[in-house]
Amino acid sequence: MRQILQLASWLSLAAIIGPAIMYYSDKMELSTLKTTMLVATISWFIATSLWMGRENSNVTEETPSSVV
Amino acid sequence: MSEDQAASTGEFEREPVPDSALLGFKSFLGMYAGEHCAGTELMIGPLFVAAGVSAYDLIVGLFLGNLLAVLSWVLLTAPIATRVRLTLYYQLEKICGRHLVTLYNLANGVMFCFLAGSMITVSATAVGVWFKFPMPGLEDVYPNSAGWVIAVLIVGAVISVVAAFGYKTVSKFANIAAPWMVLVFLVFGIVALKDFITATGAEIHSMKDLWQLAETTIWKGGDPLPGQTKFTFWHVTFFAWFCNMAMHIGMADLSVLRFARKSWYGVASAAGMYVGHFMAWIAASLLYAYQLHQDPTNTDVLPGPLAYQACGAAGLICVIIAGWTTANPTIYRAGLAFQAIMPSRSRFAVTLGTGAIATIAGMFPAIAMKLLSFVAIYGMILMPMGAIIFVDHYLFKRFGLISYYAEQSGCRFNWAAGLTWFLTMGACVGLVQTAGVQIYFVSLPGWFIAAVLYLVLSKFYQQQS
Repeated sequence: MRQILQLASWLSLAAIIGPAIMYYSDKMELSTLKTTMLVATISWFIATSLWMGRENSNVTEETPSSVV
Repeated sequence: MSEDQAASTGEFEREPVPDSALLGFKSFLGMYAGEHCAGTELMIGPLFVAAGVSAYDLIVGLFLGNLLAVLSWVLLTAPIATRVRLTLYYQLEKICGRHLVTLYNLANGVMFCFLAGSMITVSATAVGVWFKFPMPGLEDVYPNSAGWVIAVLIVGAVISVVAAFGYKTVSKFANIAAPWMVLVFLVFGIVALKDFITATGAEIHSMKDLWQLAETTIWKGGDPLPGQTKFTFWHVTFFAWFCNMAMHIGMADLSVLRFARKSWYGVASAAGMYVGHFMAWIAASLLYAYQLHQDPTNTDVLPGPLAYQACGAAGLICVIIAGWTTANPTIYRAGLAFQAIMPSRSRFAVTLGTGAIATIAGMFPAIAMKLLSFVAIYGMILMPMGAIIFVDHYLFKRFGLISYYAEQSGCRFNWAAGLTWFLTMGACVGLVQTAGVQIYFVSLPGWFIAAVLYLVLSKFYQQQS
């Protein structure tokens, strides 16, 4: 199950960057790119939230993280 | 509890990190890459264009400045972090005393409030795309419409309440969003570049053609927009070097790199610099340059509309999440800093209060529109403490002085360190006000001033004590 979700995440990322390359190469309209990116965004967050995030952070809460 | 878990729950805060809890290179690579691709990048890139930057100055300046930043992490921060393996705060407490660290926390908290405010501003520009209320322009100082105030208020309230309830959920969400966000930034750049090519009818067959387009159409140089400082090669270089000054030269990343097995792991910061502060800044600047190319009178730096035009709803989501995931931990950490001063108040109440201050700050667009200067000031204020740690670590014994003086003497306010901090800030302000040194450069002489002052003042202070 985890591997399927990971595959879905990778495909979502591919669907974010792929249309941009196609748009640059005149193989996709901007409106299609926008729709594809929205669908890929939704699928990324759904799929990834189901498997990612179990790793531990090495940064304590008091660490002043970068804001830039 | 494993030591990894201990690290994540904040243990080893008053003891050196043990060998068994050290982390590999990959941990730092991912952390730096994710952390430095944030909401601020959506403002900084466009502000470079507004500052009249040229193609060479931007690309080469960013390359060099980010290289200097990476070297600062590798040569200054990481060696001390991996030898001492203590948090910044504990190390400062040993050197400066608890009361001075509290003051440092306060300064950090105030700066964090304003930076969080500018991130709320960024997120609110996305709300404006949906609700179409008038949004602030590049030169606006005060909020310019009721719709803007309400949008900032709602965005700020949501961020503050979430920060008050829990930091970890948002932190987890930020980790999930990071790879997606990096790619969306990249798409911003690709789409804007393609739009430039289409709009100009340029024929791009080689890198030379692309460079010509960049020089003549995208980053043309020349005068900055009204109210903006002209950015040259050196401005870009120093800005890229010093925008994270608090983290490397200011030593805040001691808390992170103390977990590194080897000091060369500091080189992982290159992932953050060249993804967030090179690619993302260039991509965001392309969006704004295209807006100016289409309509030179439209000088508004509004990440929401810029992102929406390039990538539609996904772009807007990116703006909201980028602002939110940056503002949220910033408000939380500013709250922690303030709570150290008001320990009787609950963390919930203090974080809510901090969020309220950040939200009010976010209503004033001047903070976001002057982000380049503000970030430089942020680095300048926190930099002297980094010089103090450096001198204490490398030079004190050679000059016959006592390291960790506050701990050794039991004092709660090391006046040598305190005066070094105040006098360095005073000297930097003096250099800016009277000698014409711009705020973007003043932290370089400032670091040397702080280092010399701390040595000299400690000589007197330790003899007297």
